[in-house]
Amino acid sequence: MILPAKAFQRWLQGIAPDASTADVCRVSGIKRTTLAQQLVRGKVSVTTVVSIARAYSVNPVAALAYFDDYRELAGPLPPPTRCELISQISTPDLLQAALARPAMDPAGRPRPQPPALSPAPHATSVKNWVDAIDDGEVRHRVSAATGVAPQNYSAQLTANRLSPELALATSRAAGVGPTGGLVATGLITEEEAGWPPGARQAALDSMSDGDLTTLAGDRLQALGKVLRRQEQDQAQTEKIWENLG
Amino acid sequence: MIEILQWATLAVCGLTAIARVPSLLRGENRSPFYIFALMTLAILLSIEAPYVVIDQALGGINLANLLLRFVIFATIFFLGIRVTKGFGAEGAYRLITGRAGMIVLLAISVAMVAVFFLMDTAGSSAGLVGPARRDARNAVLVEYYGAAGRAYPSYISLVLLPAMVRAVRSRLPVLVRIAAGLLALGGVAIALSLLFPFIPRSWDAVEFVVNYTAVLCFVIGLALIWAARVQNGKSMGRQRTSTEK
Repeated sequence: MILPAKAFQRWLQGIAPDASTADVCRVSGIKRTTLAQQLVRGKVSVTTVVSIARAYSVNPVAALAYFDDYRELAGPLPPPTRCELISQISTPDLLQAALARPAMDPAGRPRPQPPALSPAPHATSVKNWVDAIDDGEVRHRVSAATGVAPQNYSAQLTANRLSPELALATSRAAGVGPTGGLVATGLITEEEAGWPPGARQAALDSMSDGDLTTLAGDRLQALGKVLRRQEQDQAQTEKIWENLG
Repeated sequence: MIEILQWATLAVCGLTAIARVPSLLRGENRSPFYIFALMTLAILLSIEAPYVVIDQALGGINLANLLLRFVIFATIFFLGIRVTKGFGAEGAYRLITGRAGMIVLLAISVAMVAVFFLMDTAGSSAGLVGPARRDARNAVLVEYYGAAGRAYPSYISLVLLPAMVRAVRSRLPVLVRIAAGLLALGGVAIALSLLFPFIPRSWDAVEFVVNYTAVLCFVIGLALIWAARVQNGKSMGRQRTSTEK
C-alpha cells in the first residue's frame, strides 16, 4: 500500500518536472494536506500515484512499474485468464446472461438481449477473483510469502478489499498476470490493465450453458449466505435494542 | 477524590435516568429507566450524607444498608434479565431466572439478613464503618455481611461475562460492541470485589475505585446501547428518504 517518498519524488520529477506540489494536487484532485502528510511521513500511498498518473495521462500500471515493489508490472504483461475475466462480471450481469441463454427456456421463445456488462469491479469482485485463480492452496502460499495471517487475508476478501501488495502476491502465487488483482480491487480499470475491450463479454459468450448456469448458481448461493448473515445480525441488533435501547 | 467519584457517579446515573423519562412517558421500553433509577437510588444510599438522612428516618439501625443491598440485588437482577434477553444468551438467562438463580438469590438473601440481625447495628454509618469498629465480633460479621452483599452481583456478572465477550467479538454495530465491552469490564470489576476481604485495610481506596468503576461501566454501557439505537434510527430515516426520492 505504501511507496517510499524519495522514489515518489523522483518519479514525479519524471512525469511533471516543473509542477509544484500545489499544481499536482490541483490537477489530480488530491487534498494538499493528504499529500503533504504522506510526504512528511515518507510513505506515499499507491492510490496517490494512480491519481497523479491519471491526471498527467500516464498509464497507472506503467507509473507503478517505476517503483521497486511493482517492477513486475513493467511487463510484458500476460493477458488475463478466462477465469479472471469471468470473475470480474457482476452477479446480476451473470444472472441476466444466464437467463438470456436459449437453454433456460425449453419453449425456445426469443429472449431480449441482456444489457452491456457493467465495468469491473463489482460488489464481490475481490473474492470472486481469488476463488477463480485458487487451486486450493493459493491462500496458504500467499500467507507464507507475505506473512499475513490467513484469517486476516480472508477478512479482506470478505470485505471486498485487498491491499495492492497482497493482490500482486496473490497473482504471483497463482501464476497469473499481475494486473488481475489490481482490476478486481478497483485500483486500475480493465483498459489501464491492457485487457482487450470486450474480453469479459467474449469470455462470457464462450461459456457453455451448463457452466454459466452452475456459476450463476454458485454466485447466488454465496449472495444468499451473505444476505442471510446480514439479516441475522440485524435481527440480533434489533433484539438488543428492544430489550436495552 | 473518592467523594468526587461518588457524586460524579450519582450525577451520571441520575442524568441518564432523567434522560429516559421522555421514552418512559411515551411508554416505550420502560425497563432501562427502572434500572437507571434503581442504580441512582443505590448510589445515593452509598454516599455518607444522604445515607445518614435516610437511615435516621428508618430508625437509625442501618436498615438503609440492608435496603441498599436489596436495591443492588434488584438492579443487577433486572439488568441481567434484560442483557441476557437482548444479547440472546439463553443459557445465561436460565442461570439467572431459573432454579439455580433463584436458589442463589434466596440463599444469599437469607444469609445476609441473618448476619445483619446478628450484628449490633445501632448508629447510622454508610458502609457500616461505625458498627464494624465497635468490637471484634461485629467487625467479622460486617465482613461476612459485605461478602454476602457482593456475592449475588458477582454471580450475575460472571453469568453475563461469556455472552458479553462473545458480543464484543461479533459483527454487531461498533457502539453495541463497545457497550458489551463496558458491561464485561463492569462484570469483572464486580467479580473482583469478591476479593475485598483479602485486601489490606490501608487499600480502602481500591475498593471504592473498583465499585464505582463497575457502576460507571454498566451505566455508560447501557447508555451507549441506547445511543446506538438512536443513531441507527436516524440513519434509517435518512436512508428511507433518500430511496423515496
